[in-house]
Amino acid sequence: MDQLISAILIGLSQGAIYSLMALALVLVFRSTRVINFAQAGQAVVSTYIGWEVVTRTGNYWLALPIAAIAGAIVGAAVESFLMRPLSKRASKGAIAPVASVILTLGLLGVLHSGAAIIWKGDQKLLESPVSAMGITVGETVYPFSQTDFLIIGTALLVMLTFSFIFQKTNLGLALRASAFQPEIARLSGVRVDRIRAIGWAFAGAAGAIAGVLVTPGSALSPNSLDLLLVFGFVAAVIGGLESLIGAALGGILLGLTLSFVGLYIGTSLTFVVPFVILILVLLIKPSGLIGGRKSRNA
Amino acid sequence: MMRFTRSKKGMIGSAIVAAAALAVSALPAQAASTETQGVTATQITLGISQPTNGPASYGYNKVAPAMDAYFKYVNANGGVNGRKIKLIVKNDGYKVTDAVNKTVELISRDKVFALVGSLGTANNIAVSNAVDLAGQGIPSLYVNSGFSGFANKSTYKTMFPLFPTYYMETKVLGEYIKKNFPGKKVGIIYQDDDFGDDALAGLKQAGVTPAASIPYASLSQSAATAATWVSKLKTADAEVVIMYGVTSAAAFALGTAYALGYKPQWIIDSVGGVSATLQLLGIQAPLLNGVITSSFLPASTDTTDEYIKLFQTINTKYNVAGTKFDDNVVTGMNTAMMTVAALKAAGKNLTRSGVIKAIETKGKTFPSASLAQPQFSTTSHVGYNGFWIGTYDATGTLKPETGKYKIYTTDSGSGAVKVSTWKRPAMPAKGLPK
Amino acid sequence: MHNHRAKRLIGFILLGFILFLIGNRVDDLRLYQGASVAMYVIGIASIVLLTGFSGQISLGNGAIMALGGFSATLAQSTWGLPLPLTFVVAVLGAALFGSILGVAAARLSGPYLAGATLALAVALPSLANQFTFLGGEQGLPFDSGSAPTFLGEDFSRFKWFYWISALAALLMTWLISNVLQSRFGRSWRAVRSNSTAAELVGIHAARSKVLAFTLASGVAGLAGAVLALNLGGVSPSAYPLSLSFALITGAVLAGISTLSGSVIGALLLVGMSELVGSLTSRFSLEDVLAENLKELLVSVLLILAVVFTPNGPGDRIRERKALHKKTK
Repeated sequence: MDQLISAILIGLSQGAIYSLMALALVLVFRSTRVINFAQAGQAVVSTYIGWEVVTRTGNYWLALPIAAIAGAIVGAAVESFLMRPLSKRASKGAIAPVASVILTLGLLGVLHSGAAIIWKGDQKLLESPVSAMGITVGETVYPFSQTDFLIIGTALLVMLTFSFIFQKTNLGLALRASAFQPEIARLSGVRVDRIRAIGWAFAGAAGAIAGVLVTPGSALSPNSLDLLLVFGFVAAVIGGLESLIGAALGGILLGLTLSFVGLYIGTSLTFVVPFVILILVLLIKPSGLIGGRKSRNA
Repeated sequence: MMRFTRSKKGMIGSAIVAAAALAVSALPAQAASTETQGVTATQITLGISQPTNGPASYGYNKVAPAMDAYFKYVNANGGVNGRKIKLIVKNDGYKVTDAVNKTVELISRDKVFALVGSLGTANNIAVSNAVDLAGQGIPSLYVNSGFSGFANKSTYKTMFPLFPTYYMETKVLGEYIKKNFPGKKVGIIYQDDDFGDDALAGLKQAGVTPAASIPYASLSQSAATAATWVSKLKTADAEVVIMYGVTSAAAFALGTAYALGYKPQWIIDSVGGVSATLQLLGIQAPLLNGVITSSFLPASTDTTDEYIKLFQTINTKYNVAGTKFDDNVVTGMNTAMMTVAALKAAGKNLTRSGVIKAIETKGKTFPSASLAQPQFSTTSHVGYNGFWIGTYDATGTLKPETGKYKIYTTDSGSGAVKVSTWKRPAMPAKGLPK
Repeated sequence: MHNHRAKRLIGFILLGFILFLIGNRVDDLRLYQGASVAMYVIGIASIVLLTGFSGQISLGNGAIMALGGFSATLAQSTWGLPLPLTFVVAVLGAALFGSILGVAAARLSGPYLAGATLALAVALPSLANQFTFLGGEQGLPFDSGSAPTFLGEDFSRFKWFYWISALAALLMTWLISNVLQSRFGRSWRAVRSNSTAAELVGIHAARSKVLAFTLASGVAGLAGAVLALNLGGVSPSAYPLSLSFALITGAVLAGISTLSGSVIGALLLVGMSELVGSLTSRFSLEDVLAENLKELLVSVLLILAVVFTPNGPGDRIRERKALHKKTK
């Protein structure tokens, strides 16, 4: 019984982080139809900035929003200075279907090596501002700490905020319109380019928050968030790549699956499981468990 | 029209290559490497390939500079039979392809005499195969790996491991557990590759059957995965837990167990159990109190040991400014000392086969800081074969059991674990091998 | 048409002869680098076929190379096959896997395929650790053999690698260039630009895509076997994610749909390491900077290439020429 509860608790906490990363990927996909593989790099740079803040001021609570802002700025910059010129030039020829993917890969490389040059390749630690000790209920200590509460709480807050923005505000409406019918949106007076940049900014912020939350439980190095990207992508696909709620649920589901597999089978399968899940979802229900009508085919 | 263009492009491409070829072929062909490559009247060039930065370099990146510091010390004191040593360090990021490429560079371009201290089991195997070290007679001294296969002289004619193997280590630990924790349930967390598999096998050879065997995929360690390990260990009621993995995994295991209120008797392997590195990874010294680990070199904090005292002085004087003295530095300097011993023993007429012969015939008497005797012989290339067991105190200092270094020796096979009676000879004058 | 084929064949034979001449003149290090270049040429060719012609992206060709490498090694150790046959096994094994993957891939578009192949690239090496017969982390040895005795005692080992790798690259590139000029190549390009129109003229889009995946995987498998030869073994760490990225980078840098670009891309990849290496020693750059400089430069080049010359510099020149003609 204890094992079961442990599995669920661990799964929820990790799942929350995957949800955030999935959220970042879905945000960009919805507004630009691009899977931003550079998200891992953007998030890691933002997390390093957060780390700088913590190291200099000792204040984690300050680092979180600053990292988020850094993430937003980087995201917007990438969209404006890289993705936009690309879509103008690379819309024909052999490269067209894959241009954006390759661009984000190149960007990932730049961010990786840039981060390694600036902050060196060794692992940096980030301490959680609240206790990481398991909570004791009765006689048992459960693998759930105040830090985990922080993670889940922040992830929920981010998701609810974004959901609210997307569904209830004019900005959200503009974001959704620019994604599906950019021409019509433009004709209706929406500044599509600027709106797209805002979408990327939100995504960058989400990724940065995910990075700052996950680092206390592991370590920070230029490549430390790459795996999170893969997990985030799988979570996003599970959720359907279209809906924010889907991303959230996909993340939780993935987290729970990984933790159950880890506990009952073994953590040697940590890297294999996401791939298996991905293939299963893509083959059986490519539109995701939650997703809607849009198909996956070219 | 397009098809023609493509074919034409192919021809143009060929033409460019042809031009380049003609330009390049103006260069004279070069000879293969020889017995005395890297040796001049005044210098011996050595090479090492290891991760110097990046995620795999933690701790290891102090070894090469420490080796260099010792070499500088030797150079300042007459060198080796009148020659100074130059060490060329290449970074391979712990990746196999890079290790092979950099080693080819060291041998073909930098023209090194021998390789020393190359890191990584998979890397060294690949290098040995690709470069054909044995066939070319290129010595690879004191490789930094615990793989027992390297001691096999017929497969690895020119390679000499130095450190005792993982198999030996867990046999020793297994015996220790049987003697000191009889009847208690044992758990083991191990890295899911040859590093950890070897260890599990050694434990079983010692007759210890773990109640919980928990493999983890290399690089998957984190607080979350560590929580699953702890959960499994708790369910199995393990009271003694062996943590056989790299330092970062050990750090997570210790930290997470503490956070979950799980307090078994921890036993960490000599690789993952380095106090300085663990503390850098966030494990505070008090958390190390009572943790058992093994080693074969004297503890870097043991200032009564003459070798440690010497190494500390060399570190201050010749190493990169500000380098903190720890076990990694001791390891590097010790390997360097063994290297110098081998070079000196090969005599003034320094050749590759001469060095190899010197280690095989005189290696047992080379001065080194190790408390276990090197076992080099003409039939086997096994290096050190033993460990002492120590327990950390609340300041993170490792204290040997019973206060004195008690060395347990064994082999990488089915031989028994014995307490060694070998006494380490006194350090030669000024720490310079004769 | 036959004229072009004959011309091409002569061109390749000529190239082979030139490579042979070069091989006799350079030192061991260059020979080994040459072998690496040959390996990359094959690997990049697989991307040219798959992505450049058939429009399907794969971030996991490094993993498919691993499959080829492991197949060759196992074929050698289990059945004692001689070197050329192990390479054939590598190609067939990888192609078989590619056909299965291709069926799944045909149903996926851009980002999904990219993500799926990314997960593959991450998962496959980890899989090798699970089964001891695959050697685990330290992998399995591959007997690269040595030059036959009639070539002399002093025949350099690296020259042997160079010869085999270059020969494999030449053969494979010649075969692929023939395939690309054939109706298969044409149907891939048709499907890539407009699959609906292609279907209307009778090209079965899905089948064509699967074929592309199968062939490209076979090519990648050969590259993997050549790498096994050069490394004297296979191990999961010899086929990391960065290898998959390097292949795509090499392909894009030289024009993703030009086969001859594979050579340039491969030269760039290997040359870049060399360049950074000499820059490092010339300017005594700090270690950290040196290590990451290569990745930084290559990534920046990739970005510039994708943004400014997305279909390769050759394409740009052609465009400008066409524009020039129009305005005349």
